[in-house]
Amino acid sequence: MRFELRPGVRRWFRLSRRNPSALHDELDEELAILIANRIDALVARGMSVDEARGEALRRLGGSLDEARRQLHSSADQRERRMEFRDYIESLWQDVRYAARGLVRRPAFTSVAVLTLAIGIGATTAIFSAVNVMILRALPYAQPNELMTVSLTAPGRGNITAGSHVVWSYPKYAFFRDHQQAFAEIAPFASAPYVITSGEVERLTGEQVGATYLRTLGLAPIIGRDFDRSLDAHTAAPPRVILGSSLWERRFNADPHAIGQTLSLDGKPYTIVGVAPRGFKGLSGTAELFVPITTLTDDEMGGAWSHWFNVVARRKSGITERQASAAAVVLGRQVANQFPDRVLAGAKWGAVADPLDQGRIAPLIRQSLFVLFGAVGLVLLIACVNVANLQLSRASGRRREIAVRMAIGAGRRRLVRLLLTESLLLALAGGVFAVGVAWAGTRALSQVRPEVVDFATRARIGAVNFSLIQLDWSALAFALGLALVVGVLFGLLPALGATRSTLANALKEGDAAQKRGITRSFSGRRLLVVLEIALALVLLAGSGLMMRSLSKMLAVDEGFDPRNVLSLRLTVPGGSIGRDSLPGFYSQVATRLRAVPGVTSVALGNCPPLTGGCAITVMWSGNREPDPTHDPLVGIYWASPEYFNTLGITLKQGRIFTDADRMGTAKVALVSEATARRVWPNQNPIGRHVRLGQGGFSEGDGAEIVGIVGDTRQWVDSLPAKDVYIPFAQSPRAGAMIFVRSTRDLTSLARDVRAAMKEVAPHYPTYDVQTMTARTGAATARARFSAMLLGLFALTALALAVVGIYGVMSLVVAARTREIGIRIALGADRGRVQRLVVGEGMTLVAIGAAIGLAGALACTRVLATLLFHLEPSDPPTYVGIVALLAVTAMAASWVPARRASRVDPLEALRSE
Amino acid sequence: MALLKGTLDVLVLKTLSWGPMHAFEITSWLEERSTGRVEVDDAALLQALRRMEERKLLGAEWGVTKNGRRARYYRLTPAGRAHLRAEADRLVDHFDALVTILGARTS
Repeated sequence: MRFELRPGVRRWFRLSRRNPSALHDELDEELAILIANRIDALVARGMSVDEARGEALRRLGGSLDEARRQLHSSADQRERRMEFRDYIESLWQDVRYAARGLVRRPAFTSVAVLTLAIGIGATTAIFSAVNVMILRALPYAQPNELMTVSLTAPGRGNITAGSHVVWSYPKYAFFRDHQQAFAEIAPFASAPYVITSGEVERLTGEQVGATYLRTLGLAPIIGRDFDRSLDAHTAAPPRVILGSSLWERRFNADPHAIGQTLSLDGKPYTIVGVAPRGFKGLSGTAELFVPITTLTDDEMGGAWSHWFNVVARRKSGITERQASAAAVVLGRQVANQFPDRVLAGAKWGAVADPLDQGRIAPLIRQSLFVLFGAVGLVLLIACVNVANLQLSRASGRRREIAVRMAIGAGRRRLVRLLLTESLLLALAGGVFAVGVAWAGTRALSQVRPEVVDFATRARIGAVNFSLIQLDWSALAFALGLALVVGVLFGLLPALGATRSTLANALKEGDAAQKRGITRSFSGRRLLVVLEIALALVLLAGSGLMMRSLSKMLAVDEGFDPRNVLSLRLTVPGGSIGRDSLPGFYSQVATRLRAVPGVTSVALGNCPPLTGGCAITVMWSGNREPDPTHDPLVGIYWASPEYFNTLGITLKQGRIFTDADRMGTAKVALVSEATARRVWPNQNPIGRHVRLGQGGFSEGDGAEIVGIVGDTRQWVDSLPAKDVYIPFAQSPRAGAMIFVRSTRDLTSLARDVRAAMKEVAPHYPTYDVQTMTARTGAATARARFSAMLLGLFALTALALAVVGIYGVMSLVVAARTREIGIRIALGADRGRVQRLVVGEGMTLVAIGAAIGLAGALACTRVLATLLFHLEPSDPPTYVGIVALLAVTAMAASWVPARRASRVDPLEALRSE
Repeated sequence: MALLKGTLDVLVLKTLSWGPMHAFEITSWLEERSTGRVEVDDAALLQALRRMEERKLLGAEWGVTKNGRRARYYRLTPAGRAHLRAEADRLVDHFDALVTILGARTS
């Protein structure tokens, strides 16, 4: 006799599903009974058997086969539905069961969730950065068609041959008129502007080709694009396209702004359109766009005045390689057209690279990948740790699992149950990770790494840290990561826990249990070794970055940035005659000196430690300069107070005085590095030099009157050859003003701004910063990487220590009896402690050996990020191994102490 | 008379409210009660029984009839009872409305 079970019961007993034929048999039987009953009843009423059969068939709808087929197929459908519901319900049951289990062990759960939240959250944050900065397509139409076209320079001075450099207008015009590979091509250069109508405001714009927006595949949101005819010749009519933020700020997003005029540097420009929202030019900072051709020929400069970038869109059907080959060929023609008169036979050229390549500085790209790798390691360690925790739980649940297997639960079913628990943990970790990632992305978006690449400015700033945010792709990444991680740390323990045979596990016998424990111990030992190795790799990386940073910071900057406030002042072109500029600036300086607490005020053009501002050739004698032999030097404008304000020391001779002004004999100061390298073992004082800039190239040039100490322009290179010329002998329209004070700089900044408003109301004062902040920005990238790597390494170390502690605690617990015997036999407590600690340290030694090999291999990628430091720097490695050893020893000493306190009698009785 | 869609379920539930029955008992009971006016297709009846069993409106188990034959007996579950009450009210209401409309004399 068959018996019928309710679906729930079938599930409880893990009975296999009914096979379809049994199901059909049952239906057929019921149908047969129904027909038989009907025939019986009809015959009883007096019908003949044949008539009764006919009637019964009619009641079935005419065809027995058709009726059966329908009954069977709907039964099959019901069965499938039921199975699916069963499956969902059993999943739900697993989830509830797992959740109850997790809630019942709050300590385990919170440690695991926290560990995972940190791992997943940090990885997600760095992923967001990598995604925005490197992976995500640039926000232009068909971004892969866009290329930057650059000139390549011959080697000279500190410029290596083949460096990508910017364009001059005549060279660009030749290239544009002869090129055939690109559908659109446009120049662009970042340029400061002062709005002189209404409230005076200084902002950054871009001087661009009329085809700029078309090249990028963008169009104005209102108004129209520049007319193509604007590109035809220089001194074109002044037009401007506003950035959307400027349009909203100054015109309240009023469409009637189109057609109005906007005064820039005193010149009226007609507004023709508004750029798409969020578009800030390829420089990433532009608030307005002006045709480059509104400049006059004079302002544009000749063939040797290189100052702008070029972006171009490949014609469809032309590959990247064909386009760059075409650029190289045409580059040679450009070089022939504009031969280098200074450096005969110098190899100039042109290249085209994908725009995407220049989106961020290579160093930042590399730092990000290093961080991504590092954070991946942290996540891996977190997984290992949670797997470890799971393993210890699993061995505790051995009996429970065995019972489940005994009542018929399949191994797959049990693995699923354990996996559900891991996934639940991972998802809980993922939820908290979103918080961690949110904080992480917020912090990352605040980073402003000041990477000014002076020699090769051919890079775009369209992508920057401020774009980093927790977006959908990052959240999806976190979720995916949580799932992967859940399977990763859940699967191994689950497979391990369900492997043991029934009899073995059910026997509470000592031997069987011990065998189980030892086996899971070897797995756990392996995990700890792995953890230590991973932590060591991370420690090595962060140790190197920190040592590199401290070396960087230890080098003397050559000036004293403390208590100095710096600000920029721009006098829009032509509003003050060149001859009146010294008078104007001396008024400004006098006014600032009157601010309470100010001890000195200096004028210059360029703050130290920010990459330098201008490089020129230095020569002497009655001849043309020869850049192959004559030295290239950094040139700096300075007022007499410059040196004591910035704390630059005078080594020999004198500094500038107020008597060094326009009309008097020209003078210059050189830095020690210049003196040493240009005139080795000679005294340069009294010599005359000519300089390529500042009006110092005429006649005798300037007399060197003194030598000052070196200052550094780059945080990661040695002082370069620098020359100073008096501000008053070569006045500039813009100046950087340095104010040294005994006062708090925040309140001083307020007073200085007020004073500037008084003395120079029509000219914008901006970029007010303490010198400490400026120099801090110079080391920002290094500090940023070192800090994050350090954070990751500490997390990794903490996780590894927890792992060691956990394993050693379990080892001690499992060996209580053995230790008891040892103590009973007379082993002293110190010896027991050494035994346990020794075992822990063996794991550490193996892990460290593997980790060292890994670290030596991995840290090679850091080579270019390190400052005067080899990636295999021995002191760093000694330091981190010592750190790891000490913490690991501490972690195993606690359980060791517990072991040494074992009461032998208790221990022997305990089993 | 063919049955309106959805009516069969309610009729079966109503029948079973008298006690557990097998398929033939149900169809006989319906014919008797309607004095032969309601005639149920046998295949449709089996489908309906299985469908309501799946929805947990009915329970079922194999048993033996008075004349010694095996048969599958269906009984009403509490959910089935509640369903019957609600659906019966709805149907009566519905037919009442139909009768009112169709019975109105055209004046």
